[in-house]
Amino acid sequence: MTLLYFQYFQLLSLLLAIVCGKGLSRFSIGILIPILLVDNISDILGANYTRLFHSPDNYFIFNLYYLLSTPLYLYLLTIMLKPDARERRRILYVALAIEAFLIANYFFVQGRMPFNSFTALLVNLTNFVFSCLVLARLALRKEEDSHLLIDPYFWINAMILLFSLVSMIALGLQKYIALNHIQVDGKSLYFALMQAANAALYTGYCGAILLCQMQRSK
Amino acid sequence: MPDAKEQITTTILAVIFVLLFFGVLFIFMLSYIHYRRRQNAREKKAMQDQFDQQLMQTRLEIQEQTFRYLSEEIHDHVGQLLSLAKIQLSSVRDTEPVDHGLIKDVYSNVTRALQDLRSLAKGLHAGHIRHFSIREAVDEEVQRVRKAGGLKVSVTSEGDEKKIKEEKQLILFRIIQECLQNCLKHASASNINIGFTWYAEQLRVRVRDDGQGFDTENAAALAGGLGLENIRNRARLTGGSSSIHSRPGEGTTVTVQIPYE
Repeated sequence: MTLLYFQYFQLLSLLLAIVCGKGLSRFSIGILIPILLVDNISDILGANYTRLFHSPDNYFIFNLYYLLSTPLYLYLLTIMLKPDARERRRILYVALAIEAFLIANYFFVQGRMPFNSFTALLVNLTNFVFSCLVLARLALRKEEDSHLLIDPYFWINAMILLFSLVSMIALGLQKYIALNHIQVDGKSLYFALMQAANAALYTGYCGAILLCQMQRSK
Repeated sequence: MPDAKEQITTTILAVIFVLLFFGVLFIFMLSYIHYRRRQNAREKKAMQDQFDQQLMQTRLEIQEQTFRYLSEEIHDHVGQLLSLAKIQLSSVRDTEPVDHGLIKDVYSNVTRALQDLRSLAKGLHAGHIRHFSIREAVDEEVQRVRKAGGLKVSVTSEGDEKKIKEEKQLILFRIIQECLQNCLKHASASNINIGFTWYAEQLRVRVRDDGQGFDTENAAALAGGLGLENIRNRARLTGGSSSIHSRPGEGTTVTVQIPYE
């Protein structure tokens, strides 16, 4: 079984999330456990899919991953956004529209086998916008004793924001990179970028999970 | 050809780093905004705590002043009248015929003592400041100073009287009381004027005496600074300002400006 280096961070974050489940519940982000589970399974399958199933690519896995993980991520971001009833309803409509587009794209537009780049772009854009909103709301809240740098929400959203930013650029250039065989250290630039971004994302998650646990202990 | 690829790679990486830089900058900016907001909130809270503390101290000082006045008033007026009545009554003998004039005098002294007690009870109710406007409370204080004798105190007012927040009114009253105490204790003044000017957003109170005055710079260095620092602090805590002008031989003017809300 092949494991890419960022997957160690990913596994570590899942392990921490399971161990610190009560800490996550205290911050109402227990949903992070199924998210990390889906992330881990899809990335492990993705890394080994071509070898195991003698397939030319692993896009099928990631297309399915986007369908499954998007509602979970949207739910997580909504919890962290702490919307009022009216906002919650609007977010629900947006989430339903996004999910409907993803399903339509998966079945009818780009199909199941080729990489669903529209889906990836839309998901990353949505995550980017939502994480910006959460961060802005965290910064502008009125609670006096709140400290941004020890807030798990801050680290999760900061990392999602940076990850989405890199993902969007990398996705935009993916075909160009592939066509021109642009590589760094013998690896495709796209994969190099995505692996680094993933490593940063899951490191951020690990930090946030530990912060949840520490603040629960207090 | 490899050079061109290298150039493209570098450009892509540069673009990504620039965008990442903006992303990180955005996060830092939000952190900074949050930090500033927290700091402002903390300062505001500290100011509020200071205000509350000062308010409590002011209440205690007013209460103390009230008790002192009450004790003096009972001793100097009510006590004197009742003592006189007692002496007058002690001179009445069973064997002697009733002196109606003496009884009338005793009656009038006891009545005056009762009246004094009633006015004391009415005027020195613990919360009397709350029920009166600042102008009424100051008028009453001025009556007391006048009763003590030796000083001519006048109160003037310009503009339409407006309502001041209760806490601010209490603090302002204490400032004026402190100014009057200073005049009585240190100024050797014969005239005091308390001038109220009601502006649209704030009230200006000016307490002016024609006493011996003092050097404001040296006074600050004196122990307690004649309570001047207290006056400044209190005015500041109400969101207002104060100024003290004095020169040896030229009297003293204390000006306090306090917003209504």
